[in-house]
Amino acid sequence: MKNFTKELVDDLALKLLIGLTDEENKMVLDEFDVIDQNMELITKIPNISKVEPMTHALDDFTYVLRDDKKEESIEIKELLQNCDKYEGREIEVPKVVG
Amino acid sequence: MKIENTIEDLHQMLNNKEVTVEELVNESLSKSKLVQKECNAFVTIIENPIIKEVNSNLLSGIPYGIKDNYSTKGILSTGSSNTLKDYIPFYTATCIENLEKCGAIAINKTALDEFGMGGTGTTCHTGIVKNPWNKLHMCAGSSAGSAAAVAAGVYPFALGSDTGDSIRKPAAFCGIVGYKPTYGMISRYGLFPFASSLDHCGCLTRSVKDAAIVVDAMKGLDKNDQTSWDSSNIHLYNSIDGQVKGKKLFYIQNIVDLENYTNPSKELKEHINNFYKTLDLLKKDGVEVEGINIDKALLNAIPSVYVCLSCAEATSNMSNLTGIIFGPRGKGENVTDMMIDHRTQGFSPLIKRRFVIGSYILQKENQEKYFVNAQRVRRLIVDKMKELFKTYDGLIMPVSTGPAPLLDNPKDSVSVDDVSVLEEHLQIGNFGGFPSITIPNGFINDLPVGINITGNCYDDINVLNIAYHLESKMPYKGQIAPLKEDNHE
Amino acid sequence: MSKYKAVIGLEMHCEMQSNSKVFSSAENSYNDTPNANVRPLDMAFPGTLPTVNKECICKSLLMSLVLNCSQPEYMYFDRKNYYYPDLPKGYQITQMHAPVGVNGKITIDIDGREKEVLIHDIHLEEDSASLDHYRDISLIDYNRSGVPLLELVTEPCFYSAEEAVAFLEYMRRIYQYCGVSEADTKKGQIRCDVNVSIMDENASELGTKVEMKNINSFANVYDAINYEIKRQSELKDAGRYDEVEQETRRFDEESGTTIRMRSKVDAIDYKYFVEPNIPKYKITKEWLEEIKKDIPMLPRERKEKYIKEYNLSEYDANIIIKEKDYADYFEECVKIGINPKLAANYLIVQIIAYINKEGISIKDFYLKPEYLKQIIVEQDKGNISSKQAKEIFNKALDERKEPKNYISKDNAQISDKNLLEDIINTILDNNQTQIEAYHNGKTNLFDYFVGQVMKETKGKANPNMVKEILKEKLD
Repeated sequence: MKNFTKELVDDLALKLLIGLTDEENKMVLDEFDVIDQNMELITKIPNISKVEPMTHALDDFTYVLRDDKKEESIEIKELLQNCDKYEGREIEVPKVVG
Repeated sequence: MKIENTIEDLHQMLNNKEVTVEELVNESLSKSKLVQKECNAFVTIIENPIIKEVNSNLLSGIPYGIKDNYSTKGILSTGSSNTLKDYIPFYTATCIENLEKCGAIAINKTALDEFGMGGTGTTCHTGIVKNPWNKLHMCAGSSAGSAAAVAAGVYPFALGSDTGDSIRKPAAFCGIVGYKPTYGMISRYGLFPFASSLDHCGCLTRSVKDAAIVVDAMKGLDKNDQTSWDSSNIHLYNSIDGQVKGKKLFYIQNIVDLENYTNPSKELKEHINNFYKTLDLLKKDGVEVEGINIDKALLNAIPSVYVCLSCAEATSNMSNLTGIIFGPRGKGENVTDMMIDHRTQGFSPLIKRRFVIGSYILQKENQEKYFVNAQRVRRLIVDKMKELFKTYDGLIMPVSTGPAPLLDNPKDSVSVDDVSVLEEHLQIGNFGGFPSITIPNGFINDLPVGINITGNCYDDINVLNIAYHLESKMPYKGQIAPLKEDNHE
Repeated sequence: MSKYKAVIGLEMHCEMQSNSKVFSSAENSYNDTPNANVRPLDMAFPGTLPTVNKECICKSLLMSLVLNCSQPEYMYFDRKNYYYPDLPKGYQITQMHAPVGVNGKITIDIDGREKEVLIHDIHLEEDSASLDHYRDISLIDYNRSGVPLLELVTEPCFYSAEEAVAFLEYMRRIYQYCGVSEADTKKGQIRCDVNVSIMDENASELGTKVEMKNINSFANVYDAINYEIKRQSELKDAGRYDEVEQETRRFDEESGTTIRMRSKVDAIDYKYFVEPNIPKYKITKEWLEEIKKDIPMLPRERKEKYIKEYNLSEYDANIIIKEKDYADYFEECVKIGINPKLAANYLIVQIIAYINKEGISIKDFYLKPEYLKQIIVEQDKGNISSKQAKEIFNKALDERKEPKNYISKDNAQISDKNLLEDIINTILDNNQTQIEAYHNGKTNLFDYFVGQVMKETKGKANPNMVKEILKEKLD
């Protein structure tokens, strides 16, 4: 079993752009052992490597691909109405480098 | 109050001019305020809803509630998260548009566990949702506000969403009906995603027929959701006839059998005994019910498979929440810091914990072992169910291990104990996209408990029909939680 | 030239043309107005879902077939998860597990020799939004967000910058021929990632692979490869090959060098997984057969046809197939009955020169094949001289009038054989002395006779026919 450390937990969180307080980190750490134990329940099922992973809710979807027709763009006012910072018609962010 | 009637009855009353739409809306609004005060069930109460005319449609003029993870044009839609605490969409979810076309009138937006990622109703950004039957107890979640409101009689129905059991468990704990139809029968366009391959739309009502009426209105092929399918030849409400003779149901013996539990609690014993009593009602009317043992390893894996798949998909689905286009801007010198601040401030500790799990599971070096294997076990479980559905019309099971737990003892961390499968088995319905309905089947310690029927994909009518029959044999249809106003100081 | 063998692999991203975007119904076209081609999904508003555009799938499958790839039984997509301000969903929908095409190959010509290029895969994905950078801020425009992209990945099978660029040029043409993309590098429709490694001539193992990302012109691809070969070779020469790291670099246009971005160790874990919102879609044999019918004749095949059937030189054929528009113009000419060689000649000598000078597309060129035919037919019949034909060509073009307006009876050549014979007979009768001298060896008198005929006909006699008849009579 993997040794879960505070650093590992922080790293996992940061990869999702989330910061954890020490308290939250500890909660995760406490939970992780249980989770890992739970995960082992999955790996206990024998001979599953040949089973096709179920990636969608149904196996028998039939659907029609979308016709290549364009629809009107959404009004700029609506696109920006929930944005805290924009300039003209564009969304503004601090300068992106690299 | 008149609003406490079922949709079927209200429609008749409206037609007979025993009540007007205005009266219903006013009753619903005033009851909303009570339930908000006592149970904290809502994110938004729509003060001046547009009054619609009554026509032949059963839903015309009927007030209803919308879980706050549905996009509603011009109305705050938060997902009960601080990341979207001020978000006002410019478009409405397809299934809500369908209801609006029928003339239903939205009264409020109901609170949920943040983005549906919880089963207690305690992680909403607006605070804890309390059970109207007993405010010291939880409603379960994530459709907590919807369940509380329908149980308290704010309106005859509210929308829910169900990724693990988020409609069907709160329905049980609140003594009402919770129904999620086959995956894709209702378009998910406009539902804030939690785990897309498990997310279902559905409703909470106080009768099986009402659930059929509501889903009839919500469903339909949607060009904006390629997982939706054409169900125009399926008429749920009109197909319910209550004929169940010769139907065959099974329950999972090794989950239900008390002998498999070391030191079962008094509540668990009562709950299981009550379950068997309910089965007797069916048997009496010619329904065959059999206990089936399923491979224990497979059953034990259910909660873990769910955690794996739902957390992993959720981390990705919620990657759009960065505060750049919508949601409050985070602070920070550069874009990354800004996004981190938004997410760190915005998400509750529970969701963050689940994200860390999801992140871990999806990592390249872990993905095969956890995520892909979970997808494989999902298939094994679904295949097993489909095999059984060849012989049986449905699976019938008790919901949870008893009635709603106390709020000061919320159990929302993953754990391994012998009741966890009984607690989580409704997730099977999400794995396979199966139609699944919970109805109330009694009381334990003055708190409602529920029973669930799950059937094969596209076999919704069968599931509803059995539920309808069973409902008619018990006295819980249309029951309203006797919510009393506390003497607030 | 390096003493080492360079091995190069390419990733070519090409924006596809379609009416709407690949997963949303927003218009797919360049728009100067920011955020004017946006549907809810393109800015990832909560609750929006992707819907797959049929046309984009058809075009991807068509390219998969053109590249002789194998197609998956079921089409589906994956999420590539990473955070960047130009990626509103926080993931890109792409194809990792089941690309539209894998294990393909295509033959290209490089300096008259054939080369088989191995295709690892070709897959369909969506483009990101674009960032405009200012002094302290960046602005985000989502018009490009969701534009369909085809990414073509080759095996490391090129051994020089020339080969790599020849392939890119050829593929650019294929995209245009197939109507899959305008493939205009100036509009940023093509972007390339290039990986380069070097090895000893006879070594069996590849050297350390260095990747260069996001190169936006073929000239830069060429320079970047050569710079990288030089950089790596110099390090190897100096016994410092261990300093060549498996890393990602970018090409700096100004300095003509490549600059380190990140090491392979720091590579992002994209956490790919299957997109659950797009169900698997069966790709039937019948559908593929249908799509196959839409594959137009490709440049190499056309070239072969031009040489074999129309007797064009390889040089001329190469020029014509360079642009699909040229080839289409040429083929239209042939189709309406113009002599292929004359058509090719006009196209290469006059038309291409003209449109290049004017900076217009051949589609906007005034003299459509049918107008050109009016000139060439008269010239072919000998009714007008080549000099006259050229004059008419220019006049028609200048004055925007159909060429037939300039072809009058007056300037028509005399090509009537009987009439010419009569005239020639009279002249010969009157010049017996000159005939004798001619037969005695003064062969340059032949021109004298021609001159006499032209004089008699005021220059209108068809010179070729005159020469022919004279030869017959005199020899």
